[in-house]
Amino acid sequence: MNRSSKILRYVAKRLIQGIPIILAIVVMNFFLLNLAEGDAVDVLAGEAGSATPEYMEEMRKKFGLDKPLPVQLAVYLKNVVQLDLGRSHRHDMPVTELIVDRLWPTLLLMTSTIMLAVGFGILLGLFAAINLNTWKDAMISVFALITYATPLFWVGLMMIILFSIKNDWFPTSGMENSAAFYEGFDRVKDIAHHLVLPTITLSLFYLALYTRMMRASMLEQYGQDYVITARAKGLTERRITFVHVLRNALLPVVTMAGVQVGALIGGSVIVESVFAWPGLGMLAFESLFARDLNLLLGIFLLSSVLVVAVNLVVDIIYCFLDPRIEVN
Amino acid sequence: MKLSNFMSTVMMTAAIAFGGAAALAQSAGGSLVFLVQPEPPTMAGYVSTSGPIGLLGPKIYDGLFDYDNDGKMVPVLAESVDVSEDGKTVTFNLRKGVTWHDGKPFTSADVQFTIMEVLKKVHPRGPNSFKEVNSIDTPDAHTAVFNLGNPAPYMLRALSAYESPMVPKHLLEGQDIKSAKLANNPVGTGPFKFTEWKKGQYIRLDKNESYWKEGRPYIDRIVGRFIPDASTRAAAMEKGEVLYAAYNAVSNVEAVRLNKEKDNISVTTDGYSMINPMALIEFNTKEGPFTNAVVRRAISTAIDRQYMIDTIFFGYGNPATSALSSNFAATGLHAEMPHYPATGDIAAANQMLDDAGYKKDSDGVRMKAMFDLIPYGEDWKRGGQYIQQVLGEIGIDVELRYEDVPTWLKRVYHNYDFDMNLNYFYQLSDPVLGVHRHYGTNMIRKGTHFVNSSRYSNAGLDALLGAGMKEPNAENRSAIYMEIQKILARDMPVVNLFELEFLTVYNTKLKGAYGSSMGAYSSFADAYLD
Repeated sequence: MNRSSKILRYVAKRLIQGIPIILAIVVMNFFLLNLAEGDAVDVLAGEAGSATPEYMEEMRKKFGLDKPLPVQLAVYLKNVVQLDLGRSHRHDMPVTELIVDRLWPTLLLMTSTIMLAVGFGILLGLFAAINLNTWKDAMISVFALITYATPLFWVGLMMIILFSIKNDWFPTSGMENSAAFYEGFDRVKDIAHHLVLPTITLSLFYLALYTRMMRASMLEQYGQDYVITARAKGLTERRITFVHVLRNALLPVVTMAGVQVGALIGGSVIVESVFAWPGLGMLAFESLFARDLNLLLGIFLLSSVLVVAVNLVVDIIYCFLDPRIEVN
Repeated sequence: MKLSNFMSTVMMTAAIAFGGAAALAQSAGGSLVFLVQPEPPTMAGYVSTSGPIGLLGPKIYDGLFDYDNDGKMVPVLAESVDVSEDGKTVTFNLRKGVTWHDGKPFTSADVQFTIMEVLKKVHPRGPNSFKEVNSIDTPDAHTAVFNLGNPAPYMLRALSAYESPMVPKHLLEGQDIKSAKLANNPVGTGPFKFTEWKKGQYIRLDKNESYWKEGRPYIDRIVGRFIPDASTRAAAMEKGEVLYAAYNAVSNVEAVRLNKEKDNISVTTDGYSMINPMALIEFNTKEGPFTNAVVRRAISTAIDRQYMIDTIFFGYGNPATSALSSNFAATGLHAEMPHYPATGDIAAANQMLDDAGYKKDSDGVRMKAMFDLIPYGEDWKRGGQYIQQVLGEIGIDVELRYEDVPTWLKRVYHNYDFDMNLNYFYQLSDPVLGVHRHYGTNMIRKGTHFVNSSRYSNAGLDALLGAGMKEPNAENRSAIYMEIQKILARDMPVVNLFELEFLTVYNTKLKGAYGSSMGAYSSFADAYLD
């Protein structure tokens, strides 16, 4: 069997394995979320001021919240299998529509952050490892330590004060200019303009992580026997670093990036909140407080699917980085 | 107050200086971006009185009347109203030539449908406001005659676009009103038409070109932006990305700073008199440590209201002096009552508890209690911490509890599983609309929020509340509410703390948006950008 058909079989097998995992996650989430006091009707009625008990009873019936939990779960699972995520009680809209609407701002922020953080992290880590124990290495280490230890919301606010209020370079928040409503290419430019501050803020944290990891990983590889062999062969330091060591040192960094894609979906709540970025993290956060369980379950389902998928992609990237690793 | 007085003086001086020319200089066009916090669940102001809906709804839907800053009725969809001698027939003469945003004409049938089928049935406060309306006759397309069972003077205070929006019959009839499509695709007669709702970002409204008022609105577009983080909201205000923020969307501390540092940003406390918010403590009068009114009176005596206002709310607020807000003084329904000192009197409170036989133990503790706090932000947490400290001084050891909104609502209004609860209520434009619900026996409703959670029940008071509701004569009404306030100052199922003053922060570029006592819940038809 050749390599590509081997990989295909492997992907199919992993996907099938993923289904029970995702179902188990859905069931667990369902029961965990239902442990919380109060339901969507309580919140809606509370916001509305006064509502009669009859009105609230009627709403519960409409939402299907009057049925026993196992029945609610069965109904939900049946719908999920048919790819129907139900309706959000709060927004009175299909969950799928709400999620898709928020998905692309999330992906935009996530991809730009990962690219910036992984890209610069690898560069900085590499640079630090080459210049081990010099002032350059020390500077990079201190920078990484500071950005890692600073709270995200504070960085975000400082960014706004420095680059938006003191210097009028970027807008404070949002994804588009809501006074102008640009169209076409101007809109793309406008969104990119709004994307800068949140991306930098969010990637600073991850940047530190990747820098430190890359540096450690490089140093570990330098101590390996194959480096001595390479030197004995008479290869230049340059070739050893970039062709042999770098490739091997990348493996743990790629693993980490894969794990963090999942975390980034929900983990950007703070940045989304500070910059009013309309992503999934904020949607999940709000729906938790609104007890909008259908919506919350939908978001969790999506992130579990994403994590399973990304992990698969990472495993495949492994085989290209290191041909010794085989899928089976 | 002081600031806005100053502003109006300046504006008046300017008006005198420039004469009539200033009034004509209103420039049309432009986008008004303002803060809406938090994002509303829907746009159905006829089903929910939720705050953020109020910020946008009245721009889309008109009411029959609006109210100016002196509380006077301003004709909107109704040109005039006649009340019969006995107060039981109220005739509204409706404006002619008004159309809905979809082009259909607005008629008396819409008024009849809105009141009888929508507000009386599904609105949270409508059943109270229009309780006495038995039927509505529509002799012609522009006359609506309300037939009342009893006189209902308070009804004329509840006709604003926020409190009672007029909704299109042709888009709701024959449907389940609570789940009708109109909730997310509003169609009204107001100065702005709904265009787009980007969840998590903004709601966009565009100018209604065929608005009934000649030359209005001035502004082309209104955008309500959602920014979850309080500091970012202040930054957006500072930068001029948003021009208007009401209901403390920009926190007091930032508002005071911006007002001082920025020439083009001002604050006002106007525009909340019809909302009339009151901070208070609800007590569980049926179980737990506070079943005795003496203890509740002692607590009211001990708290330094002025200190709370000054240190926690930056001086914005007035100490409560009765169960009713001093804003009702204009209609003669307010009187100062005992046990409401502006600055606390710890010694007197200790004396009251000693006299009642509550002994301090060796740690100086007379009783222990749980104190729930309204989960609406840091200010309330700090308020709770202050009260905890004061109560410690009179021997009441309280533990603070701060939960999320659904848990808290369920605990207080459904399970009644609380001792005392820090909260605030809207007293609205008349006690019948905003205050009765907290004290009447008929308002002990398990599972309904913001009603009589104390489960206080007093037949004498119930009779007075009933009488106050029907009394058309202002003097007699004043006497009835005097009695009501006396009883409530004695029994104190709820201890009022202070009349909250919400802040509106605005960019001085935005003009003409401050003429209604509904404040941010008004139409903005007259607003313009300089």
